[in-house]
Amino acid sequence: MKRFEKFTMKTAALFLGVFAFGSTVLAQGNPTLSDAEVASAAVTANQIDIDFAAIAREKSKDTQVLEFARTMANDHQAVIDQAVALTEKLSVTPKDNAVSQQLKADAEKTKEQLRAKSGKAFDKAYIDNEVAYHTSVIAAVKDLLIPETENAELKDLLMSVVPALEAHLEHAKMIQQKMSKK
Amino acid sequence: MSMHKVLFPCALLLLTGFSTLQERPASKTHRVEIVQMKFSPSSLSVRPGDTVLFVNLDMVTHDVTEASGKSWKSPPLAAKGSWKKVAKTSASYYCSFHPVMKGTITVK
Ligand SMILES: [Cu+2]
Repeated sequence: MKRFEKFTMKTAALFLGVFAFGSTVLAQGNPTLSDAEVASAAVTANQIDIDFAAIAREKSKDTQVLEFARTMANDHQAVIDQAVALTEKLSVTPKDNAVSQQLKADAEKTKEQLRAKSGKAFDKAYIDNEVAYHTSVIAAVKDLLIPETENAELKDLLMSVVPALEAHLEHAKMIQQKMSKK
Repeated sequence: MSMHKVLFPCALLLLTGFSTLQERPASKTHRVEIVQMKFSPSSLSVRPGDTVLFVNLDMVTHDVTEASGKSWKSPPLAAKGSWKKVAKTSASYYCSFHPVMKGTITVK
């Protein structure tokens, strides 16, 4: 539980929402998320970070923040492309579900908060959120999506996404530290 | 000019020329894979004139940028993309898209 201390309340809520959903269903002892639902949650989680990046590219004037946002948009799009290609190959249609919906609902609130800010305050809010969001997505992918996945190729894809998410998290923390020194 | 005065330097030149040729090993190509957000191997020892081939095995785009940012830089390497460089001097490098990814080439 110690890892939660670093979370903002909002992302803690996001992660807890996802996690609570997972454990509720697990507690029922039923098959939980289908692969179609895992695929939907994975695509949604990536799309959300592309949306955050789009707001940053619209609002920020900081080169470092803009470059980070461009990397986020490109990398998360590459993951979506891979996931879509795989679901097509496997004839799986991503299926909306409670995890995807929770992710979207939380993202809408975050986007609203980001849009309300500008200048340095925006840059800080965007990077802080990137740190929090990647932290919670890494946890959700590792602790919920990967264990829920049946298909080996989908599982491999999710596992190969984790190092990218971790590199993004470290990159965001690096920018966060530089900002705090300014 | 006596014969041996001409022959001696010639022979010397031939000998040194040959030995230089023989001592210099053929230049090699070393492969650095970019996989799971890491350069592998992240530190590489090469001889001057060796080629280093970088191959991106990840799904995301990477590059190879000399650490000062002023000396050399690969173009963006998309998935399955590769780029090679002849090593002349030692260098530290990183990925400009993911600055947490780092590596070194030692030329000796
Ligand atoms: Cu990279």
